Amino acid sequence: MSEKKNVVHVGIDLGTSRSAVSASNGQRHIVDSYVGWPVDMVARKILKRSVLVGREALENRSMLDLHRPLERGLLKEGSEKDQEAVRQLLAHLLALAGCEASARGDVQIRAVVGVPAEALRVNKQQLRTAFSGLVDALLIVTEPFAVAYGIEALLHAMVIDIGAGTTDLCVMKGRYPTEDDQRTLLNAGDWVDEQLGRLIAARYPEASISPYMVREWKERYSFVGESHGTVVVTAPVKGKPTELDITDPIRAACEGLVAPIAETMLDLIARVEPEYQEKVRHNIVLAGGSSAIRGLDVALAAALQEVGGGVVRTVEDPMFAGADGGLAIAMDAPDSDWEKLVA
Amino acid sequence: MGRIDRTKRRILQQAVQENLATLRGLPPARLAPARRRWRGALLAASPLLVPGVLVIMALVWASTVGDSAAPPEGRTPQSTTQIRNALPEALEPRPGKPPGTPLHSLGVVYPDLTLPHPPTLDPATLALGIRKVVLDPGHGGDDLGTTGPLGLVEKQLTLDIALRTAELLGARGFEVGLTRDADTFLPLNRRAAVANAMGGDVLVSIHVNWIPNRWVRGVETYWLGPTDDPFIKELAAAENRSSGYSLADFRRLLEGIYADVRKEESRRLAEAVQTELYSSLARLNPALQDRGVKTAPFLVLVATEMPAILAEVSCLSNDEEARLLATGKYRRRIAEALAAGIGAYAQQRATGAGSEGSW
Repeated sequence: MSEKKNVVHVGIDLGTSRSAVSASNGQRHIVDSYVGWPVDMVARKILKRSVLVGREALENRSMLDLHRPLERGLLKEGSEKDQEAVRQLLAHLLALAGCEASARGDVQIRAVVGVPAEALRVNKQQLRTAFSGLVDALLIVTEPFAVAYGIEALLHAMVIDIGAGTTDLCVMKGRYPTEDDQRTLLNAGDWVDEQLGRLIAARYPEASISPYMVREWKERYSFVGESHGTVVVTAPVKGKPTELDITDPIRAACEGLVAPIAETMLDLIARVEPEYQEKVRHNIVLAGGSSAIRGLDVALAAALQEVGGGVVRTVEDPMFAGADGGLAIAMDAPDSDWEKLVA
Repeated sequence: MGRIDRTKRRILQQAVQENLATLRGLPPARLAPARRRWRGALLAASPLLVPGVLVIMALVWASTVGDSAAPPEGRTPQSTTQIRNALPEALEPRPGKPPGTPLHSLGVVYPDLTLPHPPTLDPATLALGIRKVVLDPGHGGDDLGTTGPLGLVEKQLTLDIALRTAELLGARGFEVGLTRDADTFLPLNRRAAVANAMGGDVLVSIHVNWIPNRWVRGVETYWLGPTDDPFIKELAAAENRSSGYSLADFRRLLEGIYADVRKEESRRLAEAVQTELYSSLARLNPALQDRGVKTAPFLVLVATEMPAILAEVSCLSNDEEARLLATGKYRRRIAEALAAGIGAYAQQRATGAGSEGSW
């Protein structure tokens, strides 16, 4: 056990939109999954940095070659810049957690990272490559499993992890989930953004809106079902700041998530052994950033009525549920297992 | 230890095992003694079986590589990586001089593959079993292949399906080699060279289709031959883009191959695989079309020394098939169908020979 004094365990939820890290030294951080490099010497001089990560990158995006290195919860394919961006993002997350490669001395870093439920094996290999040199050992698990482990919902439970790139559903049967226990949907936060942007553009064709504005509005006002008043935002129309009522577009975009998630949820429940289906129906947990959509839990619970009813609840800290679960796994895994998982 | 702790411990062990499997890549099953017996049989039969290709290749090796480059004892590859590392030098691109023919402007020289047409021969009379299967996951690295409406990428799908197929075949007693087991780019001529160096009995190249009519979904399997179908010509051109061969090389290669003994065996293998693909996948995908067994000049099939086919296992251009391909269940079903098709072909060969089957 004495060796563990020199070990820091880390749980990472590598998200398409935001990434979270929880470490055994008590550090917990969330970072926007953006990396940017100054576009020219002038930008470099103003920013005084060769690379910016997270919110800082997003806020200075006009001066940056901005990259969002994850797509559908996985490392983006195709450009060396995106590969470098994901390394920068990981290094930044680890530095925030006090695990900076250059300053950690003889401290070992053992990381657990979540990937979408149906990530291909090649995606996992790419992730291992990205972590190479940044941590000493790496365990890759599916995101909903990390959440389930963290809240000890390991038996007769379902986790629905709604992120930006993917919605991952997983039935926990007291074993590490197999492919048949899990589903990945591409209807998630980014999909809602797309729908919302399209609906607002259709309603206000002369308004100038950016994906970043749409995302911010969604995060602030998203809901399904009954609205609690009118949602009004401000955006330029022919250069003039104008108030736009987006109540209906935001409801329609968010409600677009309900049907595919409900359908998949019911399908997974139907595949559970009959005697345990009721237990699962009454133990459904929402996690992930997009689980914060107001009324989503109620809408999914309503969908359960057709099969006898059930309970859908949202985890206490949806943004950290995956990272906290990863940390719990990291700390519970014995040294003998970590020694086999060298990064 | 409480129940929840025991459950956690068990689950963690399963998670670690899954990670170790990813780290290891493939656990190819081996039947080393049987393989050696089969090797002996193949050597004994080689004067009858192997058309001028292998004989001349062997002569080229002997004359150019000499004793110093002879494979060390026990070089029979034990893993995919080792197989790749064990590639005979004579099949590697070699800077330098004849014997050999320059294949492209970089001065790289390959053994001369221009060969006399072999006599017509029914390989079924030779009673040779199928022991080693080489799987070729299409595309890789910077060559993404086709991409689908859900952001799926062909190179990833083919590798995933190939790894699954390899596991299934390994579990059934076949030796399995992969032309690539990671996201790496390998030109088509190198794929053929790797497959030849592995000593495979058959090669199955795995691809995912893209059809302009997005309503169409289906499976089709190709073996090497000419075609007049404009769609197939276009498809072959797309798949052949990263070949590493020049047009002249291709024409020369084809001269010796269309009459090869492999032609008939490739057709039989293609039929067995296509039958399993369609019958198995149609259960999960009722609108699936059986697009049949066809011939096409895919370059990856040209320079291989074994019966070789290219299977288009799904259509990424169709939204419903893309949705199915995004699920592990459907990819596993594809792998099971490929393994069953290869197994059925191996069984045909074994039954025809009156020897023990390996399936």
